[in-house]
Amino acid sequence: MSIAPGPRLVALAALAVLLPVGSASAEVSLGAFNLEGDVEAGVRLLPDRPSPAERQKFEEYRDFTEGPFLAGLRLRIFTPDERYWLQATGSKWGQQDQEFGLDGGRLGRWSLDFSWDQTPHLLSTTARMLESEAARGVFTLPTPRPPLTDYNFGRRLDEVGVRWDTGKLSFVLTPTPEVELRADYTRIHKFGDRPIGMPFGGPGSNLLETLEPVDQTIHDLRLKAGVARERWQLQLGYAFSLFDNSHRVVTADNPCFGLPAAVTAAPPGCGADGVGAPPTGAVSLPPSNQAHSWTAAGGVNLPMDTRLTASVAYGLRLQNAGFLPQTVNAAIASPLLGLPARNLDGMVATTLVSLGAVTRPWGPLTLTAKYRYYDYNDVTEELQFAARALGDRVVIPDDVKALRPDYTKQNADLDARWRFGMPLSVTVGTGWERWDRNDKYREVPTSDEYFAKLVIEATPVEWLTAHLTYRPSARRIDEYNTWAHYTSLHLDPVTPAALAANQSPLLRKYDEGERDRHRVDLLLLIVPGERLSGTVSAGYRSDDYLRSPLGLQGATAWSAGTDVTLLPFEGLSVVAGYVREWIFEKQRSRSLAGQPDSDWISDNADTVDTAHVGLKARLSEALDWTLGASYSTATGTVKTRNGSPAGLAGAKRFPAFVDSLLRLDTALRYRFRDNWTASLGYVYETFSQHDWRSDTINPFVPAVGSSIFLGTTPHGYDAHILAMTLGYRFR
Amino acid sequence: MATAVPAILLLIAAASCTGARRGPTETEARLPPPAPPESYIGAQLCRACHPAVAATFAQTKMGRLFLNAPRDAKERHACETCHGPGREHMQAGGGKGKGGMISFARNDPTPIAVRNAICLDCHGKGDRLFWAGSAHATRDVACTSCHKVMENVSAKHNLAKVSEIETCGACHLQKRAQQMRSSHMPLREAKMTCSSCHNPHGTVSQALLKEPSANDTCYSCHAEKRGPFLWEHAPVPESCMNCHEPHGTNHEKLLKVSMPRLCQQCHVLAGHPGSPFGTDAPSLKFVLARQCANCHATVHGSNHPAGRFFAR
Repeated sequence: MSIAPGPRLVALAALAVLLPVGSASAEVSLGAFNLEGDVEAGVRLLPDRPSPAERQKFEEYRDFTEGPFLAGLRLRIFTPDERYWLQATGSKWGQQDQEFGLDGGRLGRWSLDFSWDQTPHLLSTTARMLESEAARGVFTLPTPRPPLTDYNFGRRLDEVGVRWDTGKLSFVLTPTPEVELRADYTRIHKFGDRPIGMPFGGPGSNLLETLEPVDQTIHDLRLKAGVARERWQLQLGYAFSLFDNSHRVVTADNPCFGLPAAVTAAPPGCGADGVGAPPTGAVSLPPSNQAHSWTAAGGVNLPMDTRLTASVAYGLRLQNAGFLPQTVNAAIASPLLGLPARNLDGMVATTLVSLGAVTRPWGPLTLTAKYRYYDYNDVTEELQFAARALGDRVVIPDDVKALRPDYTKQNADLDARWRFGMPLSVTVGTGWERWDRNDKYREVPTSDEYFAKLVIEATPVEWLTAHLTYRPSARRIDEYNTWAHYTSLHLDPVTPAALAANQSPLLRKYDEGERDRHRVDLLLLIVPGERLSGTVSAGYRSDDYLRSPLGLQGATAWSAGTDVTLLPFEGLSVVAGYVREWIFEKQRSRSLAGQPDSDWISDNADTVDTAHVGLKARLSEALDWTLGASYSTATGTVKTRNGSPAGLAGAKRFPAFVDSLLRLDTALRYRFRDNWTASLGYVYETFSQHDWRSDTINPFVPAVGSSIFLGTTPHGYDAHILAMTLGYRFR
Repeated sequence: MATAVPAILLLIAAASCTGARRGPTETEARLPPPAPPESYIGAQLCRACHPAVAATFAQTKMGRLFLNAPRDAKERHACETCHGPGREHMQAGGGKGKGGMISFARNDPTPIAVRNAICLDCHGKGDRLFWAGSAHATRDVACTSCHKVMENVSAKHNLAKVSEIETCGACHLQKRAQQMRSSHMPLREAKMTCSSCHNPHGTVSQALLKEPSANDTCYSCHAEKRGPFLWEHAPVPESCMNCHEPHGTNHEKLLKVSMPRLCQQCHVLAGHPGSPFGTDAPSLKFVLARQCANCHATVHGSNHPAGRFFAR
């Protein structure tokens, strides 16, 4: 994914040609056009560059290469009467994360806007792989297979990541101030690789972590027409989205195929995983699909400060990619693995209806009512299968049908707000949310959640505005059918023993089950004067999952923070802020026959502190100084303990997940000869992360057995970045 | 429902026609009454006393339109289009609060609803269609709380601060802090903004999302998860947020809780997931690297005939 410095030099050379044009005059005239804008470019140095192994987090979404770089460009050419313009923008040209923009048009009439953005997403710089990629997404191993210890000496993959290239083209026509026609086209191309797991059998078998080839394109076209009159507004829209995946499958050879335990250099070898092992496995990749959406929305303004709005949207999601075979393992071919169709011929219809009304029947009272109906209707045929190939290893006879999810979600809200003059207003409201789900597919056919709302907004003194919101809710269900999915899925009657082994009737899944929730939010806006302003924010949320002895029991979260901006005198501004967040969840599992350790309780907590300070100072008429610092640290704990009987010690707390990021930056900016700017900047970043699950992972971990990983380990980094730039302003 | 929708729309249309004969609309009611032509003094006179403000305003898109290429009589009033006619202000000798000018400053006695109505008088269409009744409107957020009309502070959209994150983050402190977490979308790298997913001016969706649902919002970039799939994972089509916190977390892949505990909040018994899975050797295959996704790689849905358990 690297780009040689050549293109960057070409891009910057082009700028070097432009700069003298601008330097000829502060008022740049190009004949019938004028020119304005800014160009800033320079050189970046990394005296202490993170090592290749440390690059993943350092350059997760960015490209920090040394050498020349474009900090920013904006050039606008326009007619003297300002009616017509053409503008070019960009930054980081020639880098992985470069951006381009070009827009033009006639002011107030039409505009055409093009933009190009590249975003790398670096996932690993430490992975190792012994497999060869014979073709994209086809990973092969020699036969006989190498000893498992060899995987720790596989070739190093410099980068595992995906780059997103996003191009956007927009055209907006405003023939009159009331009418707007708009067309937007977006193309996102993702390419690269990302890790993917592949088991060769069931939970007891080995697995291989390999790479998913990514070559996916999203085409998104949106057309919209809107008319806005004094009394009414109407919008019509159509959207089309096409997802095209160039790869349907990733296949990889099984490291344990034909590999007897004796061949492995060190215990454990493949052992049982080598017995009957499939030579190759295959995992499907997301199928190409498309979606259409038609929208009509409007609003009318009526007397008594009344406004009604309505929106109707109908969408279709279609997916018709051909099925892969049940298995790539010819040795387990079976007539039971025949497919009922060549493809899913999948279709989901979605319908959204939204209605809103706001009215102020008299001065202090405002009433708001909203209703929203969203229907997800999967009309795909329920295909039936006689068996499945488990991990390309064995055929499991299993008469099932692929159930389709359907649901309808309705929301209604009614608020009344009373304003007691300027200093105080109180809103009381109620709300309702109903889910109606396919009772064959999910456990809860119908749930109703009822909300209450109290909002107090007070301005006791001119410099203080307070918003306090309390929003309790209670979700209740009609029934919980633990085995709804399981019994509907199977074509033959299921035995009580199978049901008992499938799921505990004590579980209530948290996304469907009964819940009492309390939410409180406080926001204080403090503006004692033009030179000082601040915000204080606090939030609390408590979820209690009722009648659910298993699964998620409850969740509590609170956050508190403040942000202050101070302008002590002209030429100096200081900002500072701090937020603390705390999130806690409690969950419980249950004892299985012969596995008493499976009765456990886990308290999961995250504590996150985030702080920032910044300073901007004008040291002289020509010299500015900026200084900034931000720090974030997070600690995640998973404290698991056995429930009953006491004395069991199988469930233990995890080592804590800890990460922290500190960034310091400072820059001096000097203005000279009216239009020129020179800057010198320094950035220090340090990041550390500890996740026991991946801190020291090698491709082959003897304690794990015969499974092979990529060996992706997160690394912290320290980086010192020095940048010098020269800027010119055309005006 | 199919019959209810046209009926409701017809009702609204009828109400619109009836309302047209009754009295002033919401905007009309809030806007200052029309002023006689002689009460306007023109931008040149405004500029004479307010040269610095006029100069920065002239650099903005709205300034360029109003001052150079007005499309109708309303835009030709330039400064007075929004601030109201200036003659009384001028005759009073100028100064803060003189002549009934609407300053849009924080301490402007003009009610926020009136100030916003002035903006919506022109900007009522497009993304602002559902402003009335939206979360920000009902909280009396002024347009000028987030937008600075008189100068180009931000590169786009005339924001009050240099970026969307700073603008929104002025009140949404926790959301702004979440972008600093180790698992985050590229917001702090300026590759995304709040408005990539949200429309702060009001939408028909919850949480001011731009698309009809949370999932539709995610699918606009993550269309590979849209399906439909042969084997659907039940909570996925309902809400991505059952498992993910899109603003940033300290767990892998924006998950709300680390795997395997996240999966074990629902899968407490079936098959192997009931194990406490710790640091012991038998657990490692289930907790190292991609944890549950070591095997269940297609957890968002599988189109593989053997993918019922999302391992193919």
